[in-house]
Amino acid sequence: MSDGYLPYAADAEQSLTGEELLVLQRQYEREMPQARVQTKFNYAWGLIKSTSKREQRSGVKLMHEIYDEHNERRRECMYYLAIGYYKMGEYSNARVFVEQLLALEPGNAQARSLHGLIDDKVARDGLIGLAVSGGVLALAGVAIAALFKKRST
Amino acid sequence: MDAAPEITAAFKILFVGDSNVGKSSILLRFTDDVFLPADETCATIGVDFKAHMYDADGERYKLLLWDTAGQERFRTLTSSYYRAVHGVILVYDVSNRESFAHLDSWVEEVNTYCLEGDVVKMVVGNKIDKEAERQVSRQEGAEYARRLQALFLECSAKTKTGVRQAIEELVSKIIDTPGLWRRQLASNGTVLVDESVTSGFGSGCAC
Repeated sequence: MSDGYLPYAADAEQSLTGEELLVLQRQYEREMPQARVQTKFNYAWGLIKSTSKREQRSGVKLMHEIYDEHNERRRECMYYLAIGYYKMGEYSNARVFVEQLLALEPGNAQARSLHGLIDDKVARDGLIGLAVSGGVLALAGVAIAALFKKRST
Repeated sequence: MDAAPEITAAFKILFVGDSNVGKSSILLRFTDDVFLPADETCATIGVDFKAHMYDADGERYKLLLWDTAGQERFRTLTSSYYRAVHGVILVYDVSNRESFAHLDSWVEEVNTYCLEGDVVKMVVGNKIDKEAERQVSRQEGAEYARRLQALFLECSAKTKTGVRQAIEELVSKIIDTPGLWRRQLASNGTVLVDESVTSGFGSGCAC
């Protein structure tokens, strides 16, 4: 039995080494202000894979530019934008892009898996939210009970 | 329910080759025993991943199967996935001569990112169900693999023929070359040159 059914997005998990990212960055900077789309895409991808929020954000910004300017690269931009937003914790934006890709390619297993990953994360965060508010309610209950106890004495 | 047996080792296996030769289909056939018609498949974006438990001789192994995009635009991305691989499957389409000719550039890439002898190579000719459209003979494929000291097999993800055997042969070669993975277990990926690893690939082309 395969356990490959678990939602998974390889590019959301692994980061490049600092050295690898630097190679992509240098090439991009060398070609600026007229960087080739391939160079820009590679760099945007490397940034999105980073564990640093600031780098993820820059990567998403570059990926958005490619998305706007290069129709022929839209499908991969949608995918990596969804990954970028997912990693940044912006799940509704992540959903927008993965659902765009699924509208284009309903059978895309990578997109389906990423969609599942986003759903799982939202559900888990929702549960944590419930647990937290549940905890607050319980505490409030204890406080109110204490208050009544005081009054009754 | 039985307790999950302990995993002896995890093997990282990479699928490379031109776009549309059937890398993802071979993988899907192996892990899920499914084949999707052409109009339901789409080109892999960057890289895809599947984990699969594999039992052999009473031991359990975890296969980490990395399916890379064949399209040129993902070449830089996919090259980052060569780190610490144990096996590389080079796939071509027997009904597409060009995909066979391009194996040279894929081999070059493998040799750039993996130390010789640190990885088991296998050449796989897919789509043998399209026998009438065949452009690469079995002998040519086998000869190419022999020169690379790689394993060789032909298969069809569509009809299932050869798919399981391909992965099995590759994995048993990795298992039989403990220098390849025990060293990595011990040193956590640090590259140490071990001469014993480079021997014993000659007899690979069994089929």
